[in-house]
Amino acid sequence: MFLYILKRILYFIPTFFVIALFTFFMGAIAPGDPVELKLSSGMQGSEGQGQVSDKLAGESAYRDLNIKLGRDLPIFYFTVTSKAYPDTLYKVLRKNERENLERLIDQYNNWPQIDAYYKSVKVLELAAITSPVDASDSSAFSKIKMVREGCNDLYRNYDDAVIQLDLEKIKTAVNGTIQVRDSAGGVHAYQALTGLSKYSEAVASNYSGMRAHPTNDLKYKPALHVYGWHNQFHRWLFGDVPWFGENSDPTRHSKGFFRGDFGDSYLDSRPVSSILKDAMKWTLLLNLIAFIIIYSISIPAGVSLAIHKGSTYDRVATAWLFVLYSIPVAWVGTMLIVFFTSDYYGSWMALFPPYGLGKIGPDYTMWAKVVDRTHHFILPVFCIVYGSFAFISRQVRGGMLSVLRQDYIRTAFAKGLEPGKVYWKHAFRNSLIPIITMFSSFLPAMISGAVIVEYLFTIPGMGRVSYESVGARNFPVQFTILMFSALLTMAGTLLSDILYVVTDPRISFTKKEG
Amino acid sequence: MTLMSTQKKSNKADQSYWGTVKRQFNKNRSAVWSLRVVYVIFFVGIFADFFANEKPIYCKLDGQTYFPIFREYAVAAGVAGMPSELLNVDWVNANYESVLRAPIPYSPLTKDWDNAYANPTKKQDVKSWRFRHFLGSDQLGRDLLSGLIHGTRIAMLVGIVSMGIASFIGILLGAIAGYFGDERLQFSRSTLLWNALFLFFAWFYAFNTRMFIMTDALSESFGGFLFQFLISTVIFLAIMVIPNLIAIPFKRIAFFGKRVTIPIDIIISRTIEILNSVPILLLILSICAVVKRPSIMLIMVIIGLTGWTGIAGFIRAELLKVRSLEYIEAAESLGYSQWRIMLRHAIPNSLTSVLITIAFGVASAILTETSLSFLGIGVQSDVVTWGKLLNEAHADVSGWWFAVFPGLAIFVTVTVFNLLGEGLTDAMDPRLKQ
Repeated sequence: MFLYILKRILYFIPTFFVIALFTFFMGAIAPGDPVELKLSSGMQGSEGQGQVSDKLAGESAYRDLNIKLGRDLPIFYFTVTSKAYPDTLYKVLRKNERENLERLIDQYNNWPQIDAYYKSVKVLELAAITSPVDASDSSAFSKIKMVREGCNDLYRNYDDAVIQLDLEKIKTAVNGTIQVRDSAGGVHAYQALTGLSKYSEAVASNYSGMRAHPTNDLKYKPALHVYGWHNQFHRWLFGDVPWFGENSDPTRHSKGFFRGDFGDSYLDSRPVSSILKDAMKWTLLLNLIAFIIIYSISIPAGVSLAIHKGSTYDRVATAWLFVLYSIPVAWVGTMLIVFFTSDYYGSWMALFPPYGLGKIGPDYTMWAKVVDRTHHFILPVFCIVYGSFAFISRQVRGGMLSVLRQDYIRTAFAKGLEPGKVYWKHAFRNSLIPIITMFSSFLPAMISGAVIVEYLFTIPGMGRVSYESVGARNFPVQFTILMFSALLTMAGTLLSDILYVVTDPRISFTKKEG
Repeated sequence: MTLMSTQKKSNKADQSYWGTVKRQFNKNRSAVWSLRVVYVIFFVGIFADFFANEKPIYCKLDGQTYFPIFREYAVAAGVAGMPSELLNVDWVNANYESVLRAPIPYSPLTKDWDNAYANPTKKQDVKSWRFRHFLGSDQLGRDLLSGLIHGTRIAMLVGIVSMGIASFIGILLGAIAGYFGDERLQFSRSTLLWNALFLFFAWFYAFNTRMFIMTDALSESFGGFLFQFLISTVIFLAIMVIPNLIAIPFKRIAFFGKRVTIPIDIIISRTIEILNSVPILLLILSICAVVKRPSIMLIMVIIGLTGWTGIAGFIRAELLKVRSLEYIEAAESLGYSQWRIMLRHAIPNSLTSVLITIAFGVASAILTETSLSFLGIGVQSDVVTWGKLLNEAHADVSGWWFAVFPGLAIFVTVTVFNLLGEGLTDAMDPRLKQ
């Protein structure tokens, strides 16, 4: 018995890691740069206008946030790439630049040349920002802007035709002359950006050098890069601050998944754990109420159907239960909202509030809150209940019937016990065990159903939060919810298996059947 | 004489497995009716273009005869082009010399501004009853019935594609788990070692070096991605042939020739448990968030890739039973290889009962897809699905027809497939009948 539970718990560990791996890599391949998203939601940057200090401050803010989020680390314990890839590519922090470099590597497979090209673009951009141009000279300024835009395009493009266009654009901007009307009225032209020409030429020559010397054979040689413990996956799960004692390293922030640190929301930088706590409260409350109702109705219903097996009542009711089970939640919810939450179809039909939780806050008394919340919860709870009710009633009926066929029930009747006693004491108790433990099989369905119900009735539970974070691409929240719902289900399964063994002495998992 | 032969025939029919199943099935009235409804759904889905279309089936316009719907099929197949004079025709209101229209003269996206938000029970501003919006229309005047008819096709496709994928994976993995169990799948050490080594290379050459080709294809279209993925898979399999050839001579060496047992049943059962523990809607929601442009096709594939666990569990249980039957032993004593026995003799024997899980699976796949499109996940603007139509009622409660009819369509379809599954269960395994 104890061994069995231990074995189950040990099984739990690899399962958890598989789900964690899956979730993590979903987040890793997700489009978009979270750091950029976070920065842009935090402050309205003066992108493009180009004060030197702004640009440098933006770069350093970007860098700091990357370090804070641990995104300056390699992604996993190891990576497998072709030999053309350097093992330090993760140190390029900007996600789109890194992806673009990967594309270039895929095309030309010569990292030294690509590196030189990339760095020369960086040098050109920095030179353009810091070049001493009179601030009042607007045409010179626009030329510098052109150069900077060209550099930005170069960071994002890997297609040869596009890059040639960008290089051309930079070249004309750098070599272009500006005509200035002096105070005497004469016009004279001068080249404002001559200082940049050597950098732009370096970019062009590095680019052609990169194109001229591809080492494509490297593409087909695999290379294994091992990075050790200090990586993003490890940090996400276990954190990087020490488990015991004070954290002395100011660059380390994460406590990791196992210590309840799930990262911060991209949108408002709230810790995911606090978002999750709030959301889980509502989902669990709703489902708990539903759960109690489901079991307290469906068990008597199922038993009475089994007792009256074959009667018209049984046949009609069983058929209806089947139909009930097939009605989609989305339909029921929509119908209820359309017909019973507004007075559009008759003044008496606005029986329930259409959405929300009802009164929240300290202004209301406890009693008022409870009444109002009950009023708000009737429809959502109904939506959760009806399908599972139908399912479990049918299961109870089936379970009871298989017990009622047993010889000892016939014996009980034969020795003259009153039917109520036979049904409830002898038969029901034996059919109860699989029913109690059945919740594990509909737990995932219930959580899935909660997505629809919470969406329909705007209840800020896990389903609704998950739905909203999908729309906003708020991956930390999304994936933590995914992990947690999987964990909840697995815990439910584990619990039900253990209950199964504990409650029914006939069942033993440790002995293997032939 | 004739009496004898007919008797013989009926006797024969009685004894065959399918004969019994059919007879049992036909006794079940609701199941028989469900099957009929399924036929109707398929019929409507396949011929949706002829039931509801703004283009006429046949028309005479400016002295020319056209068959616009057929022409459209030809255009889609790439064998013909659309005549330029037909490109800007207002199909609904054109002045035809003679015309044969589809029963519902609207496509799902045809806008009828005069009848925006038409109530099916109220008077509508239409030329004749022929142009009435029988089930109403939305704010842009798009016909609901037409949308439902074309949504049938999507629902049908969801059932077929996702269950096709799920059946393939489920039957294969479930059969391996059930047939081999934890003891019977054995490989020599040399095979395992070489395969492990080459797995790395096969993965590298098939997927790693082709990564950008695949991602580019994915951003183009999902079909293109599938094609590229197929190429990668072929490369992968081709490379994996090599270690199995190399391993053969090594087996003679005592150390490498030793056989190792792989507990494949545990591995597959664990995988099933992991998949079952993730709420499917949340999983698909997450995947759709990661993919740049989710489409209905992608959703079908994901439902298929995650929905095979039921089928696998079923087949596994079946093959556990079949494995101990005598004819398997007979095949073994004839010297057939384990894989051959499994694929040729064990699986076909238990395949019929998979129909049960497939019927239930279709119901739940359709339910999942409608839930997703109800939430607005993975819906494209040019595809009309039942879930998307149902959601319009949620947006505006005054359009009761959007609450009633699309929901009814989903409900009927799901119920019918569930009833079919029940009927098949009863027919194939009467012992389970209670």
